Parts: sequence; structure tokens; C-alpha cells
Amino acid sequence: MATQSKIKVHYFWLTVLILMSHVAMLGVVFFKGNYETLMYPIILSAFVILSDIVYSGIIKSRKQSVYIVDYMMLFILNMSIIFQSCFGEVSFSYKQAILSILALICCEIGCKVALNYEKLEKKKTYIYILAGIIILSIVFLTGSRSMWIDLGFITIQPSEFLKPVYVILCATTLSMQHRRKTILKRFKYVPDNIILLILTVIIFALQWWCRDLGSLPTFMAVAFCAFISRICYPETKFSKKNIIILCVIGVIGVVCALIFAPSYVQDRLNVDIWADQSGSGYQQCKALIAIAEGGWFGKGAGYGTLHNVAAYDTDIVFSAICEEWGFFIGIMAVLSIVIMLCTSLINTPRSYYHSTLVAGVVAVFIAQMSLNIFGSCNLIPFTGVTIPFISMGGSSMLSSGLLVGFLKASQIYEK
Amino acid sequence: MKNLNRCQKLIWLMLIVFLIGMIILFIKIQFEASYYIVNSNSKSLGLVYDRYKDVIFDNDADYDSQYEWGHFRDVGNLIGDASGQTTNTLVARNSEKLNNYSFTQGTNFSDGQASIYTTLDHDANQKVYNAFGSKDGCAIAYNYKTGEILVCVSKPSVDPVIGYDDLAEGSLLCKAFIKTVPGSTQKVSTLIAAVENYGVDKVDSLEYVCNGIYTNISGDDIKCHNLNGHGTENITEAFANSCNTYFAQLVEDSSFGLNSIIKTFKSLGYTINDEESSTFLINGIKVQTASTTLTDTTDFNTQWGCIGQGETMISPCQLMMWQSAIANKSGKSTYPYLIDHVVNVNGKEYDQAITEYTDSLFSTATAEKVYDIMVSNGVNNYSYSIPNYTLGIKSGTAQVENGDKENSLLVGFDTNEEHPIAFCILIEDKNDGNLTTESIANVILNSLD
Repeated sequence: MATQSKIKVHYFWLTVLILMSHVAMLGVVFFKGNYETLMYPIILSAFVILSDIVYSGIIKSRKQSVYIVDYMMLFILNMSIIFQSCFGEVSFSYKQAILSILALICCEIGCKVALNYEKLEKKKTYIYILAGIIILSIVFLTGSRSMWIDLGFITIQPSEFLKPVYVILCATTLSMQHRRKTILKRFKYVPDNIILLILTVIIFALQWWCRDLGSLPTFMAVAFCAFISRICYPETKFSKKNIIILCVIGVIGVVCALIFAPSYVQDRLNVDIWADQSGSGYQQCKALIAIAEGGWFGKGAGYGTLHNVAAYDTDIVFSAICEEWGFFIGIMAVLSIVIMLCTSLINTPRSYYHSTLVAGVVAVFIAQMSLNIFGSCNLIPFTGVTIPFISMGGSSMLSSGLLVGFLKASQIYEK
Repeated sequence: MKNLNRCQKLIWLMLIVFLIGMIILFIKIQFEASYYIVNSNSKSLGLVYDRYKDVIFDNDADYDSQYEWGHFRDVGNLIGDASGQTTNTLVARNSEKLNNYSFTQGTNFSDGQASIYTTLDHDANQKVYNAFGSKDGCAIAYNYKTGEILVCVSKPSVDPVIGYDDLAEGSLLCKAFIKTVPGSTQKVSTLIAAVENYGVDKVDSLEYVCNGIYTNISGDDIKCHNLNGHGTENITEAFANSCNTYFAQLVEDSSFGLNSIIKTFKSLGYTINDEESSTFLINGIKVQTASTTLTDTTDFNTQWGCIGQGETMISPCQLMMWQSAIANKSGKSTYPYLIDHVVNVNGKEYDQAITEYTDSLFSTATAEKVYDIMVSNGVNNYSYSIPNYTLGIKSGTAQVENGDKENSLLVGFDTNEEHPIAFCILIEDKNDGNLTTESIANVILNSLD
């Protein structure tokens, strides 16, 4: 099923294109930025330009069949470093720089892991064990009903790492659809699906228990994709009638969940943020005001005021970017992630396993971006999730790196 | 490959849903950004002008160089400011329209032209404000043909430029929009109800005797202000005499009936008995609607309410609006407005006001009859105190604070088609001092000439 890459892009010109966009951003920082000494803009520029050149060199030396995802990663990560370095005042975000390098490494790991389906399937048991370890670590190592493991010098959010593991499990167990067993002489079932279903229920319950309402929709989106790909699997017979019935049940389920949701969820669903600007609506109000103040073209790098609000670099990072760089650049930054996801529509995945994998990755990314951007802008309830690569946050950065690795793997064909 | 495509469709679906979300966000931000900025600290607000382009609100005003001392005091509780100290004022309710902001340039916008042009006559308003002297109260006047509010004064007031320290009670409220005991100005409503019930011809034949005190069927005494009694009166005489006992007997008369009164009062916009009190809006400013108690026509409270004391409450603004329905002889009130038009940040005019009328409150025949009765009262009793104008008038004295104080009210309209002014004046605690509602009416009519 190896599909030839349909896009031929020249290494050199791609590097120049990325360099030019980053240099343009750095120019804005130099000429219009808010900084006291020139040291920080120089360090920032040096890092961005150097890393652009070095990583492009690495890509060139590797001779992959497809490299558009690598370039997009490079573009987004360095853009993110520039954004993160400018909030409030131009500095250099060492943390984001180190995490970006780690994300690129994770991307390689993810790609290696997901590249060969047969090898992966043999090690399926280990993936289950890994998922189990992460789940147990959420239950026992995090604080009381929280999502974080505090190691003193660093905090880890294990549920972030569950996302790539869950995505890969959803894809790996796919080919087992024809291995059906019969129970009570009548009901047919696929053992792997049952295991996955149990795992899904455990994960959902865990998110609910942790009150991690941000991650729950992300996992639901992945589960939805996994379910759809099972319905569409060649060996399964699934009529349109069944699909419609399932959709109706799903809609009823969501409506019931909304009606009978616990009070703390209801509170979040029905918040008039402007009536409670200093209370529960504080972050969203400030975020929306920041977007309005920025207008189309922003206040200028380092001139934002949103850095005085909690979670300015994670949950409401979109507004912080819009305030300093303008709504236009904010949208462009988000679109660059969308374009990275779109590459899988052009370099079509080479197997059903890979396309399921990609659907899972896209589901995670889209769900997270929607929850973050639409949540902070009060279109949907506000939950604390990150925008992949753009938000500050180690766990999110690494798990997103792994997921992009899967995306890359689906587009590369092995020689 | 078919199955591969299905997964691709799924990816397309997710991307499209997200992009639709982004488009909705984009539209939302475009439409609401101005509102967000109103809540921001970095907003810049434009000016509010009166009808002759005199500034009546300037967020950056100071009295050192720009304006005369006290320039904004007469409109302080009507126009207000954006400080959040007042909520029911023109600026507080329309700050989005004054917002010098455009999403294209964010807060970098410096020379925005956003402004509100009001119908107010600031010069006349200041004269009326000064005419009150040391007294408190309010006065509102408008063009009953177009609906333009020309004068709206409420004392004590506040000067937003000077600040909000040591304010007298009620300074932040524009009393023209707050309901108060109407006194005998309520008899206009009762008169309208009677004419509606009996018809124009028959109402003249209704005669009752006033002996100064009338003991009603329930055994309660209704006192007239003239304890010697007015003798036998018809409705025109009783209205001119403002005779309490006549109106008590009128209400009590079984041929009138509770339902008939309730029907007319509801049509006029009263909330009756335990109905939830409501408001209506003039350019976003809330005006309280009239309320009264009507339980039994033989009951003291119902009669007392129809005379204009007790539990009847009406805002001066609404009293004035009813005058327009009479003055226009149409039975329809002209809807008052304060904003003539708005100019946006780029200098473009919009929201041009248009004259609107309420639904029919009472018949045109009733309007004409009440017009005649009121003008007869004006000509016979007020041509000396308010010379040079042919007015339809009704005065009132409202007992407030359990009868310890009396407020003086005057509602009326100028019959001159060239000078179509309807007004309502309220002077609080009238017995303390010599200021009369007639003298304020003179100032209003003269300064709007």
C-alpha cells in the first residue's frame, strides 16, 4: 500500500521560507518590541535562526520520503518560542526552547514506534501495560483528585501521556476485527474491542474523578474516531441504519449528560462571564478584552498586559498572542497547526492502520485547540487545556511531539 | 482505498468543524470587540452633545480650562458618566456607542469621532435647574409631536467632573424616571376612565355634591381640600376644583364599575394590585411604569388611589407621556427619546431617531374631551400665573412620608402647534419655601420658546 509522496518540495527553498517568516517575526521584535537590553532579542534570534538551519540540515541528511511535517514542526515550534519569549516583555524562554528540542526528539520516537505496524502489533501487550502504569500513576501518584505529579523541581501531568498511548492502542487493535468470537452461541464480539472498551471506560471514569474536564472531551474525540474506523473496517458489516441508531443514542446520551451533570459542571456551562468579571469569568473576560485591545495587528511584542492573568501562557495563550501580535497572526498560528494536520490529506496514509492513527492524532489536536481557543473566548465552557506546541507545558509538549511522530509515520513509506 | 477514504472524510469533518468554529469566533469577535473594550481600562469615549452641539458629556473634562464650573451638574444624573457610579444614565446604558474603538487598529486608535447627539436643550436645562434654587424635585419636558426630550432635570444632582463625594440622598437618580405619588394629577387618568366609560356626551351630566367630607359606603371619610365643600359640580368643575369628594363618588358610582376603571388603567400602562412592577426603556434608560391598587370601588384605598394618594405611584415621565396623548388628541402617546443620532468612530451617522407612538391608550373622542377639560382648567385658573401660553393643565399635591410632607406636581401641555411642549414638574416638600410649579413651568416654556 505504499503511496508515493505527491508533493515534491525543495529542501533549500523550504528552509528559506521558514527562515524568512521567523526573521520577519524577529524583525518585529527588534524594531517594535518592548525590551530593556538588546541581549534577549539577540539570544532569541540566534537560537531561532540557528535551530532553523541546524534542523533543516538534519532533515536534509536523513533522506526521508516525506519531510513536510518536520518543516511544519520546526516552523511552529520556533514561532511558539518567539511568542512565549515576548509575553509582557521580550526575554528568552529557555523552558520553551528546551521543550521544543525534546518535542522534536519525541517526534522521532513517535515516528519510529508507529512506522511499522507488524512490529508494533507484536508488542501490543507492552502498550497495554504502559497504559495501565499511567492510569495507576494518575490514581496513586497525583495529589488528591488532581492531575499533577509534583516531583519538586518539575510537575508532570500523566494524563497527557495517556493520549498518545490511547491513540496508538485504538489503531493497533484495529486489524483484529475479523478475529471474532461467539458467546452464548449467538453474540459475536472482538476480544480486542472489549479490552479497548473497558480501557476507555476506565479512562473516562478517571478523568471524571479527577475533574479533568479538559482531557475528557479529547479522549472522547479519539474514542469516536476509533469507533468510526471500526464501523468502516472492511471485515465488519455495519448498516447505515445501525449508524443512525447509534448517532441518535449518542445525541440522547450527551443531552442527558448535560441535564444530569453535577452542579460544578452545570456551573461551568452556565456562566455569564460579564456579570462575574472579578470572579469565575475573570480569565475569559480578560482574554476577550485582550483580543479586542490587540485588534487586527496587535499592540506589539512585549506590550501585552495579559501576562498579569493566571495561565496566560497556557489556557488563554491564544488571547495573549492576539493581544501582542494581533488577531491575524493569532489565526495564522492556529492555521499553521491545521495545515500540519492537513498534510495527511495530501500524503495519504499508506494503510488503514495509519489512517486510523492519523484520525486519532487529528482528533486530539482539534479537540485540544477547540477547547482552548473556543473555551477562552467563551464560545464553549472554559476548561484548562493547552494548544499543542503553542502553550507552555512540558507534558503537553512531549505528548504532542509523540503524536506528530505518528502523523509523520503515516506519511513515510518504508524503503 | 474506499475505506482509507472514509478515514480521510473523518479528518476532513473534524477540520471543517474546527474551521467553522474559527469562523464563528471571528464573527463573534468582530461584533463584540467594542463591548469588550467598554469593560477594559484602556477605553476612550467620545462626546455627548445637546441639540445645539453643546458638550454635555466629556470623559476627560476638567474645569480648569475647558468648561465653566458646574457645566455638567444639571445633566449629571441623566447623562451620567462611564465610572460605574450611575447605572441608569445615558452614557452608562450607551457606552458602546461612544466607544472610540475600531478592531482594525485595536486601542491604537487616537482620533475617533464616536459621539451621541441628544435632543436635550442644555441651555434651557440649566435655566430650569437654576430655577429650582435650593429646592429638590424634577422637571421633564418634551416635544409631544416628535418625542424629543428637551428638558430633564432632577435635583439634587451630581457633577461627574467634580466627583461623587458627600452627595445628598437621591443625587444619582433621575427622578423623572422613578415613580412617585402623583397627587391630583392622577385625576387625569380617572377622568380618562370616566369619559371612556360614560362616553363624551353623558359624562357632562354626572353631577355630585361636595360637602367637604364624604363618607363612603364602607364608612370611611374622604376629605376634600376645601372643607367647606364645592357644592354641586359637574365633571369639568370638579376637575378644575380638584375635588376629592366628587371623584370618590364618581369611582363609587355603580354605573362606572371596577372593571371599567381597571380596563382603562391597564390600557394606560398601570400595573394593578399585585402585578409585578415593570419598566420601559428610553434609549436604554429604565423608566418605572405606573402602579396602583384597585380592589373594590367602595373601598377607601381604591378611591384614594384614583384621587392620586395612597398606593398610586407614577413616574413624572409617564405623566408627561399621557399629556402627549391628550395634546395630540389621538389617544396615542408620543414615545420620548433622548438620542437624536449617533456618529461612529469613523464619523458615519447612524441610529437616526424616528417618532414613534404607543398603541392607542384611549379613544380620540376621549382625548378631545379631556383636552377641552384640561384647557378649560388651564385658561380659567393658570393664565395669570403662566401668562402668554394657552395650556392644558392639572396640578397635584402628593402626601408623602405618611403625610408629613407634601410634594407639588404640575402636568400639562401647550396647545400652540408651533410650540408643542408637554411637561411634568415635581417640587418636593413644597411647604418649605415659596417655589411654585407654575414658576418652573414659566421657565421651561420661556426657555424653549
